Amino acid sequence: MSKKPTLLLLFDVLSLILIPAALILILFFTPVERVMGPVQKVFYFHVSAAWAGMLGFIFAGVAGAGYLITRRQTWDWLSLSAIEVGLVFGLIAILSGMIWAQPIWNTWWVWDPRLTTTAIMELIYLAYFILRSGLDTPEARARLGAVYAIVSVGTVPLTFFSIRLFRTIHPVVITTGGEGGAFNMSPRMLLAFFISLAVFTLLLADLVWHRYRLAELQTQNKQEA
Amino acid sequence: MKPLIRYLNTIWQITRKDIQVEWRGRQGVPVMLVFALLVVFLFNFALQLSPELQAGLASGLLWVSLAFASTLGLNRSVSLERENNAMDGLLLAPVDRSAIFFGKSISNFAFTCLVAIILLPVFSLFYQQNMLSLPLIGIILLGVAAYTSLGTLLAALSIQTRTRDVLLPVLLYPLALPILIAAVESSRGVLSGQAFADLQSWVYLLVACVVLFNAAGLMFFETILEE
Repeated sequence: MSKKPTLLLLFDVLSLILIPAALILILFFTPVERVMGPVQKVFYFHVSAAWAGMLGFIFAGVAGAGYLITRRQTWDWLSLSAIEVGLVFGLIAILSGMIWAQPIWNTWWVWDPRLTTTAIMELIYLAYFILRSGLDTPEARARLGAVYAIVSVGTVPLTFFSIRLFRTIHPVVITTGGEGGAFNMSPRMLLAFFISLAVFTLLLADLVWHRYRLAELQTQNKQEA
Repeated sequence: MKPLIRYLNTIWQITRKDIQVEWRGRQGVPVMLVFALLVVFLFNFALQLSPELQAGLASGLLWVSLAFASTLGLNRSVSLERENNAMDGLLLAPVDRSAIFFGKSISNFAFTCLVAIILLPVFSLFYQQNMLSLPLIGIILLGVAAYTSLGTLLAALSIQTRTRDVLLPVLLYPLALPILIAAVESSRGVLSGQAFADLQSWVYLLVACVVLFNAAGLMFFETILEE
C-alpha cells in the first residue's frame, strides 16, 4: 500500500485552516451589502463552489483526453475523481443559491435559464455514473467514460452560451462591458471573494487527489486479493 | 481525390443499406411517427392547453415530439446491427470507422426528417398556423442534423452498456439541450414572423452544434467501437 504523499497532507492542513479563515473573513471583514443585507454573504462560497465544480468538470475532460492518448488507467481515475467531486461542488452551488434566492427572489427555485442549465449540467454528469455502472470492464469504463467526459465538456459552454441569449434574472457580477470588464464590488468584498475562490480551488485539488488515491488503492486491493 | 471519393462512397453505402432495410421492413419510421403524434396528444391533455396558449407552444411541442421520436430511431439503428452480430460485419469491413458514423448519422437524419415532413402539415392543422414555411424547414434540417449526429454517437456508446438502449435518453437529452433551445427559439421566431437578424444568433448556434457534434463523431466513433 502506497503511503500518503506529504504534499497531500499539506493540502489537507491548508484546507482545514483556510476554509474557517475564509469564513471568518466573510462574516466579519466584508461589509454588509446595502440592499440585500447579510444574506448576500452566501455569494462568496456560492460562486466559489460553482467555480470549483466547473473547474472539476473541465479538468475531467482534459484527463479524459489524457486517457485516450496514453491509455493509462491513472488518467481515468483522475477524470472520474474530478467529476465526482465537481458534482458535489455543483450541488453546493445550487443549494447555496437556493438559500440566497428564498429571501431575495422570494422563492427557492425559479425556472431561470442560469439555474436550469446548472441543474442540467448536474444531470449530464450524473448520467456519467450511470454510463460507467453499465459497463463491465475497467477498460470500457475508462474509454467510454473519457469520450463522454470530453463531449460533455464541449457541450456545457454551448449550453451556457445559449442561456446568455435569453434574458436572465440571475445577477451578473462580472461584466464584460467597459474597458476589459469590471467587478461591481467594494475592495473588501473583492478581496474576500478572491480568497474564497483560491481556497475552494485548493479544496477541489485536495478532494480530487483523495478520491484519486481511493481509486488507486481499490485497484491495488483487488490485485492483491 | 480518390480516397475521398471512396470514403464518401462508403458513407453512401451504409446510408443506402439502412434506408433499404427500413424500406423493406417499414418498422422504424411508422413507429416514430405514431409516437411523435402520441406525444403531441399527451402534452395537450397533460398541460390542458387553451387555444391562445397552443399557438405559442407549437414550436416547443414540435421539437419535443421530434426529439422523443428520433430517440426511437436512433436506438433502433444501432440495436439492429447488434441483433444478428451485423456490427461485427461492419467492423470487419476494411473502411474508416468514422464513415460508419456518418452513414448511420445520415440515415437517422433522413428518417427523422421524414417524420418532421409528415408532422408539419399535421401541426399546421392542429394549431391553426401555417408551418410549411421554408425558413422553418431550414431550421428543422439544421436542428435534426445536429440532434441525430449527437444521437448516433451516444447511441453507439449506450449500446455497449448492460442497460443497452434504456440509457440513450439519459445521455442524449441533457447534452442535446443547446440544440433544442436554439431550435425551439428560432422556430418560434420564424413562426411569429421575426426578421432573420433577430434570430441569427440561434441559427449560428445550431450551425455550431452541427459542426461540433459531427467533429466529435469523426474523432471518437473509432474509439467507441473498438473492442
